[in-house]
Amino acid sequence: MNLSFFDQFMSPHLMGIPLTLLSLLLPTLLLPAPNNRWVTNRLSTLQLWLLNTITKQLMTPLNKKAHKWALILTSLMTMLLAINLLGLLPYTFTPTTQLSMNMALAFPLWLATLLTGLRNQPSISIGHLLPEGTPTPLIPALILIETTSLLIRPLALGVRLTANLTAGHLLIQLISTAVMALLPIMPVMSTLTAMILFLLTILEIAVAMIQAYVFVLLLTLYLQENI
Amino acid sequence: MAGHDSGSQHQFTGFQKYFNSYTITGRRNYVIATYTSIAMLILYFKLRPKKKTPAVADK
Repeated sequence: MNLSFFDQFMSPHLMGIPLTLLSLLLPTLLLPAPNNRWVTNRLSTLQLWLLNTITKQLMTPLNKKAHKWALILTSLMTMLLAINLLGLLPYTFTPTTQLSMNMALAFPLWLATLLTGLRNQPSISIGHLLPEGTPTPLIPALILIETTSLLIRPLALGVRLTANLTAGHLLIQLISTAVMALLPIMPVMSTLTAMILFLLTILEIAVAMIQAYVFVLLLTLYLQENI
Repeated sequence: MAGHDSGSQHQFTGFQKYFNSYTITGRRNYVIATYTSIAMLILYFKLRPKKKTPAVADK
């Protein structure tokens, strides 16, 4: 079987039926559903603790009006965490390695924060395009720079997540290929490379969690400016 | 980012009352003025009449 290094990033199909939607929905099956007991089992308690921690962490800097976003932001964080971590298992497809998927998440949410600001406080939103205390000769240039920086935000959000996860997965595949290739030739080098692979895997687990957090955190920061 | 600017203690007169980089309305007006100038420039270059070059007769 000839496998290229990029086969892991191809959207999965089974007899012509695309499985991308399934790969997005199935991680939710791993999360225990809440039941009507007052004291639930350990897994449910752990899940509830995690969701409460995530919500408190994201919502503390935001004012009361922005707390309407709690559900969408917490569920986005949970979905990204689950997808990123499950993607580290061998032979699994990671939807967040697809730029199309990440742009589909980043662009509408960023646009929502922008339109919220323009609708509820238009003067303040437009006024923020010029930093306070700018010297007069620099004003037109700085307005253009701030506008560019504003418009590039959704692109940065999407590409950051895609690039981090794709690069990590590719590195893992390359180094594991090197380990297997070196094993019959130079076993000592192969062992050293395997140690590097082990450390890289730990790094990738951290990156998976951090990138999910950073994505949602940046959205809350953009929301903070606009609500 | 979060929070409002402290431009309330500035006392501006004349042009600076409406266009300054300290109060939120001043900053907003500068931004709107910049966007309007760019829009005017684009409109001018799009709508200006194109010069017609006379036809050259081949000898």
